[in-house]
Amino acid sequence: MPALFQISEPGDARTKEACTTGAVGIDLGTTNSLIAIVLGDGKPHALSADEGSSLLPSVVHYGAGGGPGSVVVGRSARRLAAEFPRDTIVSVKRFMGRSSADPETRRLSPYRFAEGESGVVRFVVDGARVVNPVEVSAEILRALRNRAEERLGIKVHQAVITVPAYFDDGQRQATKEAGRLAGLEVLRLLNEPTAAALAYGLDKRSKGMFAVYDLGGGTFDISILQLQEGVFEVKAVGGDSALGGDDFDRALAEILLEGRERTPHSVREAIDAAKQAKEDLTRVEVTTAMGRRITRAQLEAAIWPLIEKTGGPSRRALRDAGVPGGKGLDGVILVGGSTRVPAVRRYVQELFGLQPLADIDPDEVVALGAAVQADLLTAESPQHDVLLLDVTPLSLGLETMGGLAEKLILRNTTIPARATQEFTTFADAQTGMDIHVLQGERELVADNRSLAKFTLSGIPPLPAGLARVAVTFQVDADGILSVTAREQLTGVSQTITVKPSHGLTDEEIERMLLASIEHAEEDVQARLLIDNRVEAQRILKATEKQLETNGDLLSGDERGQIEAQIAAVRRAAQGNDHHAIHAEVEKLDQVSADFAKRVMDRGIERALKGHSVGEFDQGELSPHAKKAYSALQEAEEPVK
Amino acid sequence: MSPRTCWHCGGVAATDPICPSCGKVQPPPAAGTQPDRFATLGFAPSFDEPPGLDDKFRALSRKLHPDRFARATPQERRYSLEQTTLLNEAYRTLKDPVRRAEHLLALRGIKGDPKMSAEFLEQTMEDREKLMEAKASGEPLDDLAKGVRERRDQTLHRVRALVENGSDLEQAAELLARMRYYARYLDEVEGRSVEL
Repeated sequence: MPALFQISEPGDARTKEACTTGAVGIDLGTTNSLIAIVLGDGKPHALSADEGSSLLPSVVHYGAGGGPGSVVVGRSARRLAAEFPRDTIVSVKRFMGRSSADPETRRLSPYRFAEGESGVVRFVVDGARVVNPVEVSAEILRALRNRAEERLGIKVHQAVITVPAYFDDGQRQATKEAGRLAGLEVLRLLNEPTAAALAYGLDKRSKGMFAVYDLGGGTFDISILQLQEGVFEVKAVGGDSALGGDDFDRALAEILLEGRERTPHSVREAIDAAKQAKEDLTRVEVTTAMGRRITRAQLEAAIWPLIEKTGGPSRRALRDAGVPGGKGLDGVILVGGSTRVPAVRRYVQELFGLQPLADIDPDEVVALGAAVQADLLTAESPQHDVLLLDVTPLSLGLETMGGLAEKLILRNTTIPARATQEFTTFADAQTGMDIHVLQGERELVADNRSLAKFTLSGIPPLPAGLARVAVTFQVDADGILSVTAREQLTGVSQTITVKPSHGLTDEEIERMLLASIEHAEEDVQARLLIDNRVEAQRILKATEKQLETNGDLLSGDERGQIEAQIAAVRRAAQGNDHHAIHAEVEKLDQVSADFAKRVMDRGIERALKGHSVGEFDQGELSPHAKKAYSALQEAEEPVK
Repeated sequence: MSPRTCWHCGGVAATDPICPSCGKVQPPPAAGTQPDRFATLGFAPSFDEPPGLDDKFRALSRKLHPDRFARATPQERRYSLEQTTLLNEAYRTLKDPVRRAEHLLALRGIKGDPKMSAEFLEQTMEDREKLMEAKASGEPLDDLAKGVRERRDQTLHRVRALVENGSDLEQAAELLARMRYYARYLDEVEGRSVEL
């Protein structure tokens, strides 16, 4: 018997053995995050992660009370953003691996920052609590993981997490730490555009040279890939790690804020209104935001300079890949929600001279590709026999005399990669040598990103120029660098895995890990409470909506009974007993069961078909996969 | 060099990255041995790009890449990482005409930075000046680039002749060093049009 709330969100239809390995792909996005998995049908599926949608807004709210579990993620958190702008972290990805002094962190935003020992960004939330971007990201990953486990009925502990190709070493490290903190073994960090190409390549059995134009909420990535003989070779990448749809929102918000006072509330309100207006204007020519009339032409005028900023990196990547001007390119793939903006599509078509491809949902394509890679890495016999060859996004080098940067590994070098350079001492009896590791394309040290500094000591005291130190850079398949310095005579050596200079110290990471273990039980209780409350809210809303639209199906008695139970659920939801909330919700389910059936009979079934798991023919499936498929399909909810 | 034995089955593994008898990935050659990038990809040294280089690279990548060893022991994962690193390095060397020629000379014992001829250095200064002037006045750089591109191609032809008859390898090395200058110059010219 269907219950009312199952019409919008079914309870616990679960899929055992839904997949072979339980390794997932996660797109940890600036605006939205997604989780996907390859199922028995051999295809990647995005799992519904938040109120029936596969998109979990990357929003984390730190609620009152300060308990370690008083954290809300996703749409529920986003609804709290307007009321609690400082306690609700939106687009945390922009802060990953960045210092609090970074101009990027100082842009239009309502947050309060606290100085950390190592200069890493910290948000002050809920009065006095301090959280860093890695912890905030871990909350998003944890939410995805929990929701996937609920969906699939299996444990999820391995993941491929995607990062913008243009992420530097510090940002990659921070992402990996967030995964660890969320209890995930990070099998691989995968570049987002590469993941997208993987999702496309498998569908199309393509061969040729492709550009992936990925404009998300906060980052722009361009990748040029060659697909041939089951090998996906990234030829060149480029981009801007601080450019995306959020900037469009800000540009429009500036217009909305003209002549208004700027408070955390008004800034938040303007940004939200701008985002909504931008989305509306992908479909209509005119809309209103904060009482102002905004036309598509106005929006385009405001964001065109931002869109044009994607041209430079794109042209450079085409040149680096040996297809200057896009001549010889076979296709352009669009990724990221911001590519829905008509002006962006127009610009892409002009830039590459090709009609861009967008057959796979640009919001889901990255997560789907990550799921494929997770399957490739873990399955006994992966569903697809392909290999990805990725490259370093930025050059890696060392500081030499005079504040100059010397590159050891050039950008767009296929990874894993290694390079060694020898240096000699410059003073007599010099026993130590400072090694300063840099990332970037610029000539001067000061213009590049400083990744690490360390000192090789124990060099034998010799006349200047006699002691020789070999410095070796090794970049692994995740794009993470380790540096070894070795004195050639004595063999004294020192190795470090590069951590960002502005990143987290080992102690901080340790503390965060310990805290997450210590509070595990507390977290579970608090989370159960929050989950049940959110669930109760959702059911209340759904039931009330049905009373409103289909109330004529009820007798006065029936209506009275349901309304009384609605009040009971609401009372329970105000308390702290998650069992009580659950029990009252169950009761509401029972008293409204008949009503639900009548509503269903009225033709709600049609809505159920709106959001199916996949379009493939079930006839191709093994019985095991078929079972998984049908359970999952039951578990999906219709699109509203 | 004494024949290597496979760490896993004890069979003779020669220098193959994968043991021919048991199929296990092997450690890379000991540090300090002169690497032969041609041999890494199974080719004999040559001035021109070995035919089928791309295919060979892809085929070996499919066998050696760390993604293929995600479920293997830490030891095998380390070997896979090191072998793939060598493979990538070898491919990069062989794919580029200048790096390939430099490596060919290194295999024949010509190493270190050669002394550049005074005449060439003079020409270099002149080219720079012209480039600066053209940039300042905003005139198109196409003709300048064309001249340098022609000299670059001629230089590579001369290197080939010298390497192939093995007469004056030192001079070949000096000519080869000029290629870096040409490359930097052209980067600068092309870079400008890309930034625009």
